[in-house]
Amino acid sequence: MPSRPSPIALNPASPSQSIFKKKSSTAMSTAASYLSAVSEADARARKHGGTPASTPALSMSSSVTSSSEDTVLHDDGHLDFTDGLSFPRKPPTSEQVFTTVHAEFGHCANEDYRYTSQHRKGVPYKSIPEQDPPYYILLTTYLSYLLVICLGHLRDFVGKRFRAVNYRHLLPWNGYAPLNSDFDSFYTRRLKLRIDDCFSHPVTGVPGRTILLLDRYSPDYNKTMIPTGTRTRALNISSYNYLGFAQGSGPCADAVERCIERYGVASGGTRLQGGTLDLHLQAEALVARFLGTEDALISSMGFATNSTIIPALVSKGCLVISDELNHASIRFGVRLSGANVRMFKHNDMNALEDLLREVISQGQPKTHRPWKKILLIVEGLYSMEGTLANLPVIMELKKKYKFYLFIDEAHSIGALGPRGRGVTDYFGIDRRQVDILMGTFTKSFGAAGGYIAGSKTIIDRLRLQGHSGVYTEAMTPPVLTQVIASMVSIMGITLPAEKPSSPSLALLRSSENTPVIPESEVIPGTAPASALPSWMPLSPSMIDGSDGRMRLRRLAFNARYLNRGLRKLGFITYGNDDSPVVPLLLFHPGKMAVFSRMMRTRATPIVVVVVAYPATPLVTSRVRFCLSAAHTKEDVDEVLRACDEIGDLLDLKQASGERWPVEEIIKRAVELVHMPEIP
Amino acid sequence: MNSSSQSLELFFDFLSRSYTTLETNFYKIPGSAVLARYVRSSHQNDPGRTLLEIILIIFAIRTLLQSRTRGDQSGKHFIQFDEKEIDELVDEWAPEPLAQPLTPEEQAELASVPVIVGPTGPKPKLSSGKTVTNLASYNFTGLAGNEDIKAAAVETLRKYGLGSCGPPGFYGTQDVHIQLEQDIADFLGTEAAILYSQAFSTISSVIPAFCKRGDIIVADRGVNFAIQKGLQISRSTVRWYDHNDMESLEHVLESVEKERRKRKGPLTRRFIVTEGIFDHDGAMSDLPKLVELKKKYKYRLILDESVSFGSVGRTGRGLTELYNVPASGSVANGLSSCGGFCAGSSIVVNHQRINGTSFVFSAAMPALLTVAASEGINILRNTPSILSTLQENVRAVRAILDRVDCIHIPSHPASAVIHLQIRWPTLQVPTHTTSSPSKLSKSNPLSVKPRDPPQFNVELEEKLLQDVVDEALAQGVMITRAKRLRGQELIEVRPSIRLAITAALSRKECEKAANVVKSAFVKVIGKRR
Repeated sequence: MPSRPSPIALNPASPSQSIFKKKSSTAMSTAASYLSAVSEADARARKHGGTPASTPALSMSSSVTSSSEDTVLHDDGHLDFTDGLSFPRKPPTSEQVFTTVHAEFGHCANEDYRYTSQHRKGVPYKSIPEQDPPYYILLTTYLSYLLVICLGHLRDFVGKRFRAVNYRHLLPWNGYAPLNSDFDSFYTRRLKLRIDDCFSHPVTGVPGRTILLLDRYSPDYNKTMIPTGTRTRALNISSYNYLGFAQGSGPCADAVERCIERYGVASGGTRLQGGTLDLHLQAEALVARFLGTEDALISSMGFATNSTIIPALVSKGCLVISDELNHASIRFGVRLSGANVRMFKHNDMNALEDLLREVISQGQPKTHRPWKKILLIVEGLYSMEGTLANLPVIMELKKKYKFYLFIDEAHSIGALGPRGRGVTDYFGIDRRQVDILMGTFTKSFGAAGGYIAGSKTIIDRLRLQGHSGVYTEAMTPPVLTQVIASMVSIMGITLPAEKPSSPSLALLRSSENTPVIPESEVIPGTAPASALPSWMPLSPSMIDGSDGRMRLRRLAFNARYLNRGLRKLGFITYGNDDSPVVPLLLFHPGKMAVFSRMMRTRATPIVVVVVAYPATPLVTSRVRFCLSAAHTKEDVDEVLRACDEIGDLLDLKQASGERWPVEEIIKRAVELVHMPEIP
Repeated sequence: MNSSSQSLELFFDFLSRSYTTLETNFYKIPGSAVLARYVRSSHQNDPGRTLLEIILIIFAIRTLLQSRTRGDQSGKHFIQFDEKEIDELVDEWAPEPLAQPLTPEEQAELASVPVIVGPTGPKPKLSSGKTVTNLASYNFTGLAGNEDIKAAAVETLRKYGLGSCGPPGFYGTQDVHIQLEQDIADFLGTEAAILYSQAFSTISSVIPAFCKRGDIIVADRGVNFAIQKGLQISRSTVRWYDHNDMESLEHVLESVEKERRKRKGPLTRRFIVTEGIFDHDGAMSDLPKLVELKKKYKYRLILDESVSFGSVGRTGRGLTELYNVPASGSVANGLSSCGGFCAGSSIVVNHQRINGTSFVFSAAMPALLTVAASEGINILRNTPSILSTLQENVRAVRAILDRVDCIHIPSHPASAVIHLQIRWPTLQVPTHTTSSPSKLSKSNPLSVKPRDPPQFNVELEEKLLQDVVDEALAQGVMITRAKRLRGQELIEVRPSIRLAITAALSRKECEKAANVVKSAFVKVIGKRR
């Protein structure tokens, strides 16, 4: 394969830090010097390491001693180079120079491993048909729940009589009712506790391509977790880091550092009471430009964006139509608003239309007065299902039934669409037709908080009427800077025309840049340099938008590759092919724990998220992979291989359809990704 | 006669034959014998039971067959339309606009929000180019812009990146979060603490985590908006007591107890929900009395310390030095970072790790903000002089403003948040003080409205106070009205100006600023009197 220069090739002028530079003062850009450094470190590790007999390849994978720097080669650390986590298995060739730390953002120069996330025009949207597992799987799943529940009740029954001390917080005591009734907490005590080692694992370092787990063990069946003090580097296919902006180095982190030096970390108070900084205005303007809406507002927490804004949109006498799988924050907000709620079956457009016809014709309950307004709330990308809202149909229904549309793009913004503008971009739908676009910065942008975008009238109303403007603290400057920097990397920057000799020329130039296209058709443009904070350092890859483009295309490839690869292996997965969230169905509650533990203890450890009831229906326990642009193709190969092995062991390959062996999938990855439809 | 008996005989014959075929067929089904034996024996013991069981089976089948999502259709209020009528109704229906455009007053309100250019702090620069004294932003301890915090934040940034990229349950819990939770718990002397990523969402999530339908909450009438929302979400039974009135609280607790004894209901969870320092007016709770009452009546206390944490007490620990008090507080205000926490016993804390909605379903706080807060606690611990400076500044400001005729200050003398209300001459408009003699008649604990709500003209007062704010800004002091969502708060809060005193200003500067506020008040309000 001809190695072309990488799109993130280091521009010699930019002062970014490369891991190779950190090791020695001269840049080690050749493979030879890189390899020699590796073998040197290897030798040192063997000299210092506690396991002299074992070669690094056989030693306990990638446990890292607790020293200061995690992401860089360090002298007396016991590092393993064979797992491909800290350093690529194949060292880069002399032409390829990477500016990122491999552990945070994987090195992948092959332009074939790119794809564009886009819905094909003219094809009706449909997600993968949901396959039912064989009956014996369902039956044993129910049976295993039954068994665990019976055992739990038995233990409660015996325990309450013989070891009452342990149950004191569940029983009335000294005139106080229990804080937590044993019925309410039964599920967590008797079911979740058994597999608690798969949840809330403490970590450290950048949640990028890899993550450092703080190892822990439990002497008493997960009641207490004791840290061992060691750390394990694992491939991270769990964090919401779709575009890989979770980085401790690189242009975004440089910008944030500059911001902290300038602004500190606090913004001091609520937006309307002395907490508004110039940065807030700049970030809001940029978000609006990114999405191509009139205006946008920013809130300091993603959950609160929904829970504090929805009550300002609807009230008593209004109806909210909500997909049954909408996120808890939406439910929270709707409950606060006092509006009526009706739900429809997940992504079922016929059910939605039936419901719309019913509610509009019936009007409000009892009084039959017409609804003041009807707000349809859907998510762009459902984080547990990997399905996309069926926007083309929704937009048609919207024209006919005149409801307002609120799209929660918490997961889809940045992660979908040829330009990363979310689910509307993916389907090629004009964003101005959507009344409210909500999204978060936590996922694709590596920051925190959320935004609401829409027309100026609505946004201004929300600024005053939403709970967030008056009562919640404003977003802090470092987070704002991360939002600005990462968003700009995707958009690219229009630099001011170089020394315009006369104002008319400048005018001419600007009109050249924006040819006369109807407003609705304009692709949300680049960010004008004047809209950015003047102190913000800009890197060349940010200015031309190549960095962001590369990220989008890498994510699109990874998502499609894993989705299709898993299906070719015979697993039952949900969702859309282009979704970076890939749920793989496990069904059995017991398999969740085994799957998670087996992945974590492989030679190349992989951390995964397992979810079950109540986040999903009782029988469809699943493992959820979240892909990232930071993953390389080799990483996805690794995940596929791991799933293949574990899937055989756990009897997970239940889907019908043609199957390929894992090595064939890996070999024909590019072909698989580019197939219009897989048989 | 004969023929009729013959036909009857035939009929009975037919009946018995069909019965036997039915019976033999029934016994061919596997397991049917068991069922028959069960029915027979139960019928023998108690014939009524058979009837009951049949009814139950019919009911179960009916429930199963009923569509759950379209329950309305079977209701008596459902009107049947044909397709054409529905189409017409759909065409006819015209929704209201999603948002009303702003009125000129609202536009003016939005335009009047000051924008700080550059970092916030005691002397920020505004977008107008003016450098002002800041008595508007929450920066009690003056930690905003602290160089140590900045250095710690940058170091964390390089090690952790910015976002945590995941909820705490799914690899979002970083060692720095565990550290800050430990720091807060140590600082407050509780067993454990839990971090939320926004202050406002903390208490509105803590309350519903513990209080469910059927539980009893006794709450202050003056609690802040976040608590109100938490109470609303919890669906518990709420009883109200008069704002910061311990007698009224005791009376309400007594009446709840009486009610329970009368009804002989089961023991339910009972909570008192109030604030350390009230966001609405700066009044301070009488915590010793609260704790005494809570213990006497066996209630649990949820105390919101958003304002008091990091601003009162010798080292800023707020009001709680007590056990078994789930106290929630704000990291945002007290430590100049972002986020909130809830501290209490480890059972209380661990319960929220699964049941605190905005903890479970939200990404964890960015690492660098967490470290900034830890560093802030460290500084507070090591530099008690910050809090004494703050108290000195508060006293200095109060010394000047307390004596002004047209200002009424409901805030506690030690509170770093000072609310300034307009004091009208008693003849013109009745104020708080005139309503107090009629205390004999008690407010109804079922209703959030007090018996004698203070009368005031919201629009007029808001307008005058905004004039005061503008006047002060012209003189170089940034203050703000205490903004409220009018119409959404449970009871209308009297308009006020909210000063937030900071330790970052010197005593002289505070006095100067207070004098500016005073003269602005006198100029705007005094003119009207």
